Order: sequence, then structure tokens, then C-alpha cells
Amino acid sequence: MSAKLWAIVRREYVERVHSKSFVIGTIPGPLRMAAMMIVPALAARSKGKPLKVAVLSASGELRQAVEAALREEKIDGRDRFDIQPAQAEASEAALKQAVLDKRLDGYLALPEDAVSSGSASYYGRSVTNRIVLRAMERTVSAVLVGRRLTGAGLDPGKVNELTRALDMKTIRLSEQGEREDQGAATILALVMLMILYASLLLWGQAVMTSVIEEKTSRVVEVMASGVPSTILLLGKLLGVGAAGLTQVLVWALSLLGVSLAAAGPIGSFSMPEVTPLMLVSFVVFFLLGFLFYAALYAAIGAAVNTVQEAQSLAFPVMLPIILAMISFPAVLESPEGTLAVTVSMIPGMSQLTMFLRIVVLTPPMWQILLSIALLGLGILAVVWIAGRVYRVGILMYGKKPTFPELVRWVRHA
Amino acid sequence: MNDNALVLRGIRKAFAGHVAVQDLSLQVPRHSVFGLLGPNGAGKTTTLRMVMNILGPDAGTIEILGQPADHAARDRIGYMPEERGLYPRMVLEEQLVFMAAIKGVKAKQALARMGPWLERLSLADWRKRKTNELSKGMQQKAQFIATVLHQPEVLIVDEPLSGLDPVATDVMREALLDLRRNGTTIVLSSHQMDTVERLCDRVVLINRGEKILDGAVSEVKARHGKNTVVLAFDGDGSFIGSLPGVVKVTDFGQYLELRLEAGSDPQPLLREAAARLRLRRFEIVEPSLHDIFVETVTRHGKEAA
Repeated sequence: MSAKLWAIVRREYVERVHSKSFVIGTIPGPLRMAAMMIVPALAARSKGKPLKVAVLSASGELRQAVEAALREEKIDGRDRFDIQPAQAEASEAALKQAVLDKRLDGYLALPEDAVSSGSASYYGRSVTNRIVLRAMERTVSAVLVGRRLTGAGLDPGKVNELTRALDMKTIRLSEQGEREDQGAATILALVMLMILYASLLLWGQAVMTSVIEEKTSRVVEVMASGVPSTILLLGKLLGVGAAGLTQVLVWALSLLGVSLAAAGPIGSFSMPEVTPLMLVSFVVFFLLGFLFYAALYAAIGAAVNTVQEAQSLAFPVMLPIILAMISFPAVLESPEGTLAVTVSMIPGMSQLTMFLRIVVLTPPMWQILLSIALLGLGILAVVWIAGRVYRVGILMYGKKPTFPELVRWVRHA
Repeated sequence: MNDNALVLRGIRKAFAGHVAVQDLSLQVPRHSVFGLLGPNGAGKTTTLRMVMNILGPDAGTIEILGQPADHAARDRIGYMPEERGLYPRMVLEEQLVFMAAIKGVKAKQALARMGPWLERLSLADWRKRKTNELSKGMQQKAQFIATVLHQPEVLIVDEPLSGLDPVATDVMREALLDLRRNGTTIVLSSHQMDTVERLCDRVVLINRGEKILDGAVSEVKARHGKNTVVLAFDGDGSFIGSLPGVVKVTDFGQYLELRLEAGSDPQPLLREAAARLRLRRFEIVEPSLHDIFVETVTRHGKEAA
């Protein structure tokens, strides 16, 4: 029997891996992984040409002070702003025209009462470059506040020193050591979570489609006359699962590769940390989650005649996975909270939530193992049910069964 | 040592409210060509599926080649279902290797065996092509090869000749007879009565899940008596149907098949026909399996109603 199972697994695997969609989905994976690592790192710093701006103010003295402060703004040793000296008599209309003619990126207009009212306006072709504009706002604000302090007879330098704002760095502590987290880790966690979620749905549905195809092409009767339906189902799950695993491994290994390379020559970027535990659990939770969902999808495929018919039955199956996705902000917020721990134990949700918890904080090992064990039990239960629906369903053509009918199949198969 | 390739005892199968097969018992002798007949929905496919363990019977036992039916025993059967099925995107050669593997044959062996079959059924040029590039007839031939590559001792074929052109029909019929000569037991399910009549030694007729006829073809025909008359003639033969003793007329225009009342003498009929028509043929024959089929099923239908 094992030779037959092997033949089925091999056929399923070869058919998937040879398909165009597999190649298209897998090969750019490493590139996407590289992008996943580098883009968050790059996004954390702002980059690009300095912003070409002019300052418009009724008071020449205020204008010069603001200009000087903006010139001082540096990022990685380069100027953030390229200040175009504007004549005192420069009219707002002329500046507007300069912006529209692309001689300027924008201009900052300070009203006469700028110091007392604390108001200013920035006009620019693009106002979505938040990071740069935030820096401008901060700088101008500092100048205005400094003026007010001087006006009140205080020394801005002294005040500044006394009211220095908190500069809090966030450092992730784990058994593997400590590392400064600059937000990129959260982005990475969410991206990995999305990939896991999409892979589970994609490969689960691949199983469903393939069951429906076997029904449509009637090949399933020939198959069922050769091997028991349980072997047929198992072979399909393992074969398609192996193809999915191949894809996920290619991705995970390239992620590891990029992460190792990042420690070297481009180490100056703040790369998000990828631990071996994260990669291993990515693969493990993909496999377990796949078996759980693929078995359910196989049962749906066996029960219906067309992919269209499958949609309404597929929704209840997707519900736990959707709930898991909805719960992720709460899990991120409090990875050790009751909700997070509970959800990371429920089979059908745990493969996403436990993975997310591992990425953000490394939960106690017993929780990870318990979650895996429960998921294992869940898989056994689901495969048992799916096997029964599958056995009856593959030979049923015609009307789509109702839910009570499906229950009857499970009870009497 | 048992002389039967298949033995079914008291098989019963019901689906949600309706009984598909009812207390069915039959024996298929080894080395025979066995016809499993019955109108659409009679329960033939359900019976074959139970033999192949695709469905489990509610009651009764099945014995294959003298053994209780388990999966090892089923590897000795080849089954070609009425609904053909091949993987559409698989290359023919790989498909055949796979189908053989499902029956426990190693790839090397399967490759060696498929050559002569592909030659014989004119598929050799299509060996490296995908199934969905093959015509329907070719797919059917490919399916047949997939069914016999593991050299089954019992071959169950459902409508093996339907959809084939006359040349392919002859090749396939020859192939079936060759297998039989080599000792394969063949179970043939078909609606093509002339094929069944020519190929089969024994037949079983089932209707509404029950067996209503069982025996050697010659015996079944003899049992129905030599009361069929075949007439070929020129002229208007419409009067013949109303002659005394004629029970049933199958009219082909210039050719008639008549069923006479049991025990009635065909001589007066011959005289009357010769007097009024220009006869080319007048022959007293056994009824065709076709007629026996129609008559038996109709009678059973009335009794049941």
C-alpha cells in the first residue's frame, strides 16, 4: 500500500511543481523576501534629494532664523532641505508660480503673528512626504518656541537643556540576546503572517480544486477502484502539501540568506531580526495549518460539482482563519494576554496566532508545544471527518448536498 | 480450488430510501466471458462498484478468485468504469505508468508492457502527448491499456466498445478475445446486445436491483424456444402481424422478425406468406438476446407493478 501512496504523492507533487503558477509564485519569492527585509529598513530612514523650499515671512529676521535652522537639519550627514533664499519683497504669487514651474518643491509661509499664534502653512506639489514635513514642523516649531522663550526673558539653550524630551529606544529581549528594534520587526512579523495566511488559503484551495477536477474528469472512480479512498485523500494531502512546503522552504531559506547577508556588508541598515525559531515555526505552522485546512477543503471539493458551488461551503471553513486575522492587533498589543494565549491554542486559529506570538515575543516552550499538540489533534479529527465526506462525495454527482446531508455522510460513511 | 472468478452472495445496497441492489447472488466462472446486462438504473454500476470496493455492500459477501475480497485480491482485477477517467494534463506514458503503479506494478515493468499495447491500439505516436490532446476514441483505448497493464486475472469492462469507430471496435474485440484465450476472465457490461450475444458465454440480467435471468447464452436462448421467425420479402407485408399465432412483430420494412405463440406451428404462416408475398427468406430461429432482454424486462416490470 505504501508504494501506491508514494505513487499518488509523487504524481500530485510533480503536477503542482510543474505548473506555471508554481514557478511564477516561487521564483520571485527570494526577491520578495529581500524586498521584505530591505524596504522596512529603508523606510525607517528617509532618503532622497533634499526638499527645495523657500521661506516667506513678513519679518526678514524670523525668516533668516527659520532658514538657518532648516539648513541645520541633516539626515545621514546630508541636508534635508535645500533652502532657496527668497527676497523680502518676494510675493506669494511668485513663489506659487515657482512651485508650479518646478523651480521649487514648496514654500513655507509664516504669517505676521507666527510667533504668538504658532501657525504656519506649507504649500508644496507633494505633501505626502510625511517624514520630511514632520522634520520641518519640528524645526520651525523649535524656532518659534525659542523666540517666545527669549521674549519671556528665558534662555532658550537653558530651557532646551532642562526640558530635553525622552529619546526612548525599544530593545527586544530574548534568549538569543538583545537587539534594538526600530519598528521593522513588527512590519516583518505582519508580512510573514500575511504570507502564511495567503499560503494556507492558496494551497488549501489547490487541494479543493484538484479534488473537483478528479470528479469532473471522472478519474476518481478509476482511482478508487485501485486504492482505498483514505489513501487517495492522504496521498493528495501529502503530495500537494509537499509542493506547498517546497515553495515555503524556498521563501524561508531566502529570507534566512538575506538576513545573513545583511549582517555583512549592508549591516549599516537596521535589518529586522530573523531568528531560526521564527523560520522553523513558519515552516511547521505552514505544514500543520495546511493539513488542517486542506483536509477540510478536500471534503468540500468532494461534496460539490464545481468550484462555484464550493464558495458557499468554503466560507464556514475560512471563518476561524479570518477570526485569527482579525484578532492579530490584539495579539500584537498584548502577546501574553488571555486572548492571545487562548486564540493561539485553538486549532484552526493557532497556526497563525501562535506563529505571530513567536515572532513578537517568544512565548514559553510549553505553550508552543501544547499549541502544536492541540493542532495535531485537531488535524486528526478534521482528517477523519473529511475522509468520510470524501468517501461518499467523490461518487456523488448532481445536486449539491445540504449541511444536514453532509452530517449524515459523516455518520453513515 | 474454486472454479469461480467472482462469487456474489446475497448482496444488498440501499441509498437514501431506494434499494439499488437487492439480494443479488451470481457466479462468474473462471475463463468465461460473462455479460452483466440490465436497463439503465438497474444496479449494474452499483454492483461493479461493490465488487471493486468503491462502495461497501449493506449485506452479503463477495469472493474474488476464491479469496474473500480484500485490496490484495482487487489488485488482480482490472476495472474500466463506464465513466472514463484520465488525468487531462498528464502525458499518456506517465499516465499509464501511474495507473499501473496504483495496481502495484513497478514503473519499469509498466513501460515494458505498454509498448505492444500502444502499437496494437495505434497509440504509439501519442505516447508523449497529453491526454487532453487525444480524441475521445483514443482516450478510450488509452483507458483500456491502463486497465490491463497489471495483467489482471479478471477484467471488468463497462461498455468497452461504445464510441469506437468500426476499425477500433474490431481491434478492441480482438484484444478482448486474446485476453480470454490467455486465461483472463472477462465481465462485460453493455447495452450493445449483438456484441454481448457474440462475445459472452454466460449472461445475467438484472432489473430494479434484482436478478431476473441467469445462464449460459445458448441455454437462455433455448429456454425461450425456437419460436422466432425471420422473413425477408418484396411487397406489402403489413398483414402478417394480424395472422393467427403471431405475438409480436419487429418491423424493418422489407424484413420482419416475428414472435410466435409458444407451441404454435409456423407452417400455416409460411403458406400464407408465400401465397401473398415474394419471399426471399423464411427462417425459424432462436430469439435474439435483444428480444429476450426486452421481453424479460417488460414482463418483470409489469409483475413488479
